[in-house]
Amino acid sequence: MSDVMNIDDYLAQGGVLTSPDNVPARYRGELLRLMSSFVDSELAGSAGFAGAINFAPGIKERIAASRITLEKADHAERVLNVMGSFGTDTRRYQTQHDWAARVARDADFGAARTGGDMRLSVFRYPLDGWTDAVAMNVLMGLATGVQLTELTRVSYAPLAEVFREIAPREARHAELGLEGLERIAAADEGRAEARAAVAYWHPRVAATFGVAGSARYGTLARFGLRHTPNETLLARWEGLVAEKLGPLGLN
Amino acid sequence: MARFHSLEVVDVRRETRDAVVVTLKPRPEDEGAFDFIQGQYLTFRRDFDGEELRRSYSICAGTDEGCLKVGIKRVDGGAFSTWANENLAAGDTIEAMPPMGKFFVPLDPQSDRHYLGFAGGSGITPVLSIVKTVLAREPKSRFTLVYANRQISSIMFREELEDLKNLYLGRLAVLHVLETEAQEIDLFTGRIDAEKVQALFAHWIDVNSVGTAFICGPEPMMLAIAAALRNHGLADSQIKFELFASGQPGRARAKAVSRVAVEPGSGTEATVTLDGATRTFLMPRQGQSLLDAALAANLDAPYSCKVGVCSTCRCKVVEGEVEMAVNHALEDYEVRAGYVLSCQSFPLSEKLVVSYDE
Repeated sequence: MSDVMNIDDYLAQGGVLTSPDNVPARYRGELLRLMSSFVDSELAGSAGFAGAINFAPGIKERIAASRITLEKADHAERVLNVMGSFGTDTRRYQTQHDWAARVARDADFGAARTGGDMRLSVFRYPLDGWTDAVAMNVLMGLATGVQLTELTRVSYAPLAEVFREIAPREARHAELGLEGLERIAAADEGRAEARAAVAYWHPRVAATFGVAGSARYGTLARFGLRHTPNETLLARWEGLVAEKLGPLGLN
Repeated sequence: MARFHSLEVVDVRRETRDAVVVTLKPRPEDEGAFDFIQGQYLTFRRDFDGEELRRSYSICAGTDEGCLKVGIKRVDGGAFSTWANENLAAGDTIEAMPPMGKFFVPLDPQSDRHYLGFAGGSGITPVLSIVKTVLAREPKSRFTLVYANRQISSIMFREELEDLKNLYLGRLAVLHVLETEAQEIDLFTGRIDAEKVQALFAHWIDVNSVGTAFICGPEPMMLAIAAALRNHGLADSQIKFELFASGQPGRARAKAVSRVAVEPGSGTEATVTLDGATRTFLMPRQGQSLLDAALAANLDAPYSCKVGVCSTCRCKVVEGEVEMAVNHALEDYEVRAGYVLSCQSFPLSEKLVVSYDE
């Protein structure tokens, strides 16, 4: 069959790429940027949660926090391995930044990326005790769930497969968080504390969805690396937050 | 970083007028590295007039055949495939990276699955590997193959497929679709498009029983088939793709001759292309990387680590010369083709033209 199709048209029509060899240059750059943002966020998330293990009030909570710490590092490694197939020096990459580094709790830089790595800005803020860690994990876990519905559809098949493996485990992290938050919110004192933590993290997690009408979204959509605009994903997350936290009196 | 190993060419068999099947043997110490999973491919490299070319070809052997075989169809103007078809002979050695690719699902000897494969032209090579392996290793599974070609004489592995049908009686069905040759049934003539896939699903293939579908062929065929499979309720995770060789970028051109370098310290006129738009700006010769200069000029250039490790910021020097401070990501052949890590690049020439689009 000789009917060769322009690769841009192929991607615009929902085509899938399957190896580093058949990826165009611009696509390659955006794909690597997307992957490194995920890897850096998972590593920073894992590093942040490692500290939360010692906030845990009981064994069950300690196990949940350990599991989240472990699995987020594992998810980072899986995506980093895909980057490695494009030439990334994976060993150097993982030691390049201080993943546990955090700014002051009241620092304000919106969604801007600061510091050397590409983690989402929300992962620059420190966790402030067990209730705070659980609240952040629930809000960010729900956001990750929404964002993974996009990521499991990326047009680079080897990466989409990794995200499809990761998605159910990330969903479980959010569930573990919700179970913890329910226990916390059962008492008045815990509920007040959780409400303050949710109020702190809510705008910071919302910022991870990016701005409405983003120019980069157009580029990514053309490549089949995005399918749903930022504002739609954000609205979906807001709906989930209301649905899950409303009954607990936390929204 | 994956490494190349020497493989011995054991046999070169002409399969059709413009395709050969090459049997390869790794050195004893490399045998472990060349264990493959059905559906994977090998990446070869060879020097053509001082320029390194890399090409990937799917393995067409089953995992139980005890050898490595790839099918190479000659592409018009393709240096590597023409060389393989016309010059490669038993006794030669060829350099290849260990098998790669994820065009497979894990085997399960206990399962009784129905696999569906679509292959266009030489897209048959990885599918054949899967067919052979699955039929041998999953005694209760069956495979339906839809195989598109221009004409009978261009069908690769036609006899081998017939033999497999006889060997695994009732477990392998092959539907040949020929573009330019009329067949008894109209449905099997012409190109595979949305309409044809629809008709195949209506009359010939019970798509509801399909566990996994494999598609390897030209882009329009993959799009049409994937859309039809999704319409019939298959999830993305049930559809495996391998993009046809036509998707590989063309021959890498040699780096443009650099201008005479001028004294360090003075400025450079940089011209940067990104997303089809070109912008020219002045940048210092020292102290600011090409990436930082592009970002400062409001170009949304891709980058991540900024320390020469991840390769997100790779671009191509079209004219002029730069010096890379650190490079942990690009291989020599990429550098020779003019690629640089823009986060580590500092201009050496008065004029510099780079592109993120090539």
